[in-house]
Amino acid sequence: MLENYFPVFVFVLVGIAFGVMPVLLGWLVAPNRPDSEKLSPYECGFEAFEDARMKFDVRYYLIAIIFILFDLEVAFLVPWATIFKEIVHTESVKWFGFVEMIVFIAILVVGYVYAWVKGALEWE
Amino acid sequence: MEFKTFVFYFLSAIMVFASLRVVTARNPVHAALFLVLAFFTASGVWLLLQAEFLAISLVLVYVGAVMVLFLFVVMMLDINIDRLREGFWSYLPLGSIIALLMVLEMGVILGGSYFDILEIGVPQTAAGESNVQSIGRLLFTDYVYPFELASVILLVGIVAAVALTLREKRKTKLVSPATQVFVKAKDRVRVLQMPAEKRD
Repeated sequence: MLENYFPVFVFVLVGIAFGVMPVLLGWLVAPNRPDSEKLSPYECGFEAFEDARMKFDVRYYLIAIIFILFDLEVAFLVPWATIFKEIVHTESVKWFGFVEMIVFIAILVVGYVYAWVKGALEWE
Repeated sequence: MEFKTFVFYFLSAIMVFASLRVVTARNPVHAALFLVLAFFTASGVWLLLQAEFLAISLVLVYVGAVMVLFLFVVMMLDINIDRLREGFWSYLPLGSIIALLMVLEMGVILGGSYFDILEIGVPQTAAGESNVQSIGRLLFTDYVYPFELASVILLVGIVAAVALTLREKRKTKLVSPATQVFVKAKDRVRVLQMPAEKRD
């Protein structure tokens, strides 16, 4: 059973190589002659205005939390989709299995409409 | 040593190291990134248990979404590290009680089979069936009520997030193109009929 994960393992290895190799090649091949001007931080050519560690706007947090909630909704859809064929072919749970997911989505649509109407999805 | 055992110990060692760094790293952004590493290795351990749905949702939900939120919060708070360390001694009693409780709970769960308190084994799925299907079958038959309850909790989360963070008035004057195209000339321009006035 665990042998079935071998393609995943290959994917992970290729992914790591894809990320590491360009950095490694750049480090090995590129000429490296640093001086104080090259290493100093700059903003499009001039001196940096302020520290990069500034406060983020709270709106990023709102977008992130709405993303999490709908991400979780989609995560619930996956196991339902895998047994959907089985649900529609079983007479006893045919409508039950369909309606329960519709109810689940409908409850979340209420939240979606709320966020939309309140203007949480607008980015000025 | 079997290959599977080797992978388990490899992932576990990374996970223990990353978890330690989460609580010892001085920079909160580094701590959050170490938590990402801990989640990744935990999902690897779950894959070893053949719980692929949980493993992938751990990566998608926790690494992809929750940790982004954590990073935003860490960057939003503008943490001053010296001031964070101020209340260390006053919070120590409460913190140590909670930590002790958690250690006890973990001990009961992990050592439960050793002390014959709990029976824990890796549940096996039926042959020729992925455990995503098994989860789906259980979730949508036996656990329908908790499943629908989960959507209500998500709804409460959406409403709470919007209500808590969308307090301030918008500063910019946004032009909405959708309403803009519906404007007629008579909404904007008023033509007045005025009698000519006599000049003195």
